[in-house]
Amino acid sequence: MSEHGHGASYLTARRGLASWLFTLDHKRIGVLYLATTLLAFAAGGVFAVLVRTELLTPGRTIMDADTYNQAFTLHGAIMVFMFIIPSIPAALGNFFLPIMLGAKDVAFPRLNLASYWIFVFGACFALVAIVVGNVDTGWTFYTPYSSRAGASNAVLWMTTAVFVMGFSSILTGVNFIATTHKLRAPGLHWRRLPLFIWGIYATAVIQVLATPVLAITVLLLFMEKLLTLGIFNPQLGGDPVLFQHFFWFYSHPAVYIMILPGMAIVSELIATFSRRKIFGYMFVAGSSVAIALLGFLVWGHHMFTSGMSEFATMVFSALTFLVAIPSGVKIFNWIATLFQGEIRLATPMLYALSFIVLFTIGGLTGLFLGTLSVDVYLHDTYFVVAHFHYVMVGGTVMGFLGGLHYWWPKMTGKLYDARMANVAWAFVFVGFNMTFMSQFLLGSRGMPRRYYDYLEQFQGLHGFSSIGSYVLGVGFLFMLAMFVWSLAKGAKAPPNPWGSAGFEWQTASPPIEHNFVTQPMFTRGPYDYHLASAAELFDGFPEDEESPVAPAGDRDGGEPEG
Amino acid sequence: MKRTLHRILASSGPLALALWTIGCGRPEGTLQLPPQQSTLARDVDELYYFIFWSSVVFFVAVTVTMLYFVFRYRRRRGVEAQPTGHATKLEVFWTVSPLVFLFVLFQWGFSGYVDSAIAPADAIQIRARGSQWQWEFEYPNGMTAMNELTVPVDQPVKLTLSSSDVLHAFFVPAFRVKRDAVPGMYTTLWFEATELGDVQVFCAEYCGAPPGAQGAGHSAMLATIHVVTQQEYDDFLAGGPGPPADCQAQENINVCWGQQLYRTSGCAACHNIDGIAQAPAPNFRGLFGRTEQLADGSSIHVDENYLRESVLQPQAKVVQGYANVVMPPFRLSDNQIDAVIAYIQSLE
Repeated sequence: MSEHGHGASYLTARRGLASWLFTLDHKRIGVLYLATTLLAFAAGGVFAVLVRTELLTPGRTIMDADTYNQAFTLHGAIMVFMFIIPSIPAALGNFFLPIMLGAKDVAFPRLNLASYWIFVFGACFALVAIVVGNVDTGWTFYTPYSSRAGASNAVLWMTTAVFVMGFSSILTGVNFIATTHKLRAPGLHWRRLPLFIWGIYATAVIQVLATPVLAITVLLLFMEKLLTLGIFNPQLGGDPVLFQHFFWFYSHPAVYIMILPGMAIVSELIATFSRRKIFGYMFVAGSSVAIALLGFLVWGHHMFTSGMSEFATMVFSALTFLVAIPSGVKIFNWIATLFQGEIRLATPMLYALSFIVLFTIGGLTGLFLGTLSVDVYLHDTYFVVAHFHYVMVGGTVMGFLGGLHYWWPKMTGKLYDARMANVAWAFVFVGFNMTFMSQFLLGSRGMPRRYYDYLEQFQGLHGFSSIGSYVLGVGFLFMLAMFVWSLAKGAKAPPNPWGSAGFEWQTASPPIEHNFVTQPMFTRGPYDYHLASAAELFDGFPEDEESPVAPAGDRDGGEPEG
Repeated sequence: MKRTLHRILASSGPLALALWTIGCGRPEGTLQLPPQQSTLARDVDELYYFIFWSSVVFFVAVTVTMLYFVFRYRRRRGVEAQPTGHATKLEVFWTVSPLVFLFVLFQWGFSGYVDSAIAPADAIQIRARGSQWQWEFEYPNGMTAMNELTVPVDQPVKLTLSSSDVLHAFFVPAFRVKRDAVPGMYTTLWFEATELGDVQVFCAEYCGAPPGAQGAGHSAMLATIHVVTQQEYDDFLAGGPGPPADCQAQENINVCWGQQLYRTSGCAACHNIDGIAQAPAPNFRGLFGRTEQLADGSSIHVDENYLRESVLQPQAKVVQGYANVVMPPFRLSDNQIDAVIAYIQSLE
């Protein structure tokens, strides 16, 4: 099934700015999303550094409380809505879902382009909100602070941004579900799907079902503010806790939109770099679906101290513990895949292994928070902040970076410098743990979150955490330099630099516009190393691009860096 | 391989048990947790450490196994990966068995939560009202205090919480209790303090900050619980809060007390004492004895009566230029108001 195709790559097949801005090619749309979400990541990162720098010392360090409140709000809102939710599905998912299914494109290419521009349009509202100033509610926009008479109009601009970007998320979800159901190439039945597809598919289901609730919540907030309707504001006869229910009904499933794609990538990385089929494939696939469904039932665990009834807290706590099970299954199965494998510690694998370790910490600390009496103590402290950064950064971002390094040669046709990549990884890993491990201790010792000023006794841990954030930042800057260098001067990448049995590697690096020269027929699964031919697993340059059979030779020949 | 696995499992059991029993919370506090100063704290800490050590064991097992496999099965010449087999029994085992542990956590956590949610029938009932950015407490006899709560030791106390503006939350780390203060409804929390002394209270639900450089808002919305003997509490209720201990030895007790009230009752958030800043509220320095122009055009001499009225009914006579600034009423006792007046008078 080797398709080291003829013709120009998708990067050069058409030329000119318009051919990019109005492209219908899922790969180009993926690249557009990648660039936009990485820009958002940089902006969110700048706000993070501002927040951590202010927290170096108690009292005023570089800004007033008012400005600080905006800084942490924008850090959260930008990271959640403009980076973490879209990044893996819209950038990497768009690029690889059709290829992995043996398809030419997604089911609705024009809808795909529309999704991107809706996302950009929504982002413009966010920019206006930042400029107009004073979005200081936290990314959670709790009422009545966000809807009271004195609240800034910038809150409305930001919630409009979220409303619009939500449609991008919904339409992408619709597209992916349709593509997975209808455009699988012959031979690719559900039990042969790459686990990346299972993860993206489960994510798409959540996107379609949950995001409309966010849209409605934002609309109700609008109506309250603009029409002075009493929905959440008690001064108008509303109920503030109702907002929390609406908000978290979307935002809890949203965190599974964030983590499932990261887990999906880790499955691919563990398989390729162990050279082995993922252990317990059906359980891993099923766990993605289980997490997606169970995720809709646990939103109240964000509200244990809100004044909810004891009965409600009991139900939400019990259901929250159930969600831990499918996540645990994945961890066990990934580790079991390493058993009797052939393990290579290429940079993507370093990120996959980091995910396993750091997501385990994040998940275990979730147990503290699901336990009612302990959560009453830890809620709204730095313990929660540390927990969600471990799952979102230690989990999703590690997965995202692993996927980015893994698929970089495929998307760009270039290799990156493995040594630089590993140095960047080290800074990121160490910096991340410095920043957030200390925050567990801050929280358990009683330090509340969203605090501009703090008691002297917390200064040591805060200072250490802030230094850690600088180390983390250095890692990312180093990584950026490495990728820029790769684009400018990187060595040419062979079609399958990792010798993977995955389907996406059976295309040129970068792929041609239509992905495949002829329609693929699948006769094996993506992790069937014992069924794949030597040509399919060959990690060098085929001598003759037309020939489907690589020259005979040992597999270790022509090894690319990493 | 199997034997090694068995050996690891066999030794981890006793080790875990040992850690679980020794690594609990301590009354004087540990690295992770503050001192235990309420009857609820011990149970919360025991559960916390149970989860903590279980997590440590699990984390070490996962990480060590992962690293071991990465090393043991690193790619070497001539050694190929073995095709993945099936082990359905193992998979079902590790899918179902965590449920036992998780159920224990749920049950223990829920029972602790119910204990903390339902106050004993004989609890002293105190009201706590949160507003941006202060706490007002009201005792059973109608007495009120700002940002300072006095309670007797070894006696259950039930706080009925409310808010007059946005969400706040009453958080006492040393007691391990927290509850949101929600505008438009009442919530409750209760505790029984076990140690004499002062205990820190934080606001734990983000509630904004004043614009510009005028204060820290949410992170400055602190309070102190004074845990005293039953006799001291009874005296307190009878005579109202008296001057703090460190003012008793001062030459002018009331000026000292007034200065402390200025800081702890929330006056400092808006009224400066440098003689310069006149926003968001009039400066206190040089205020006493001055003639002020009021918003309605009349003028007034700033004396004891005017100051007292401005504390209890701030909207009665608002100075020109401050018509849009809303000062909330402060319910200080007569003695406290005397002290504040003495302090303002002392600022020449």
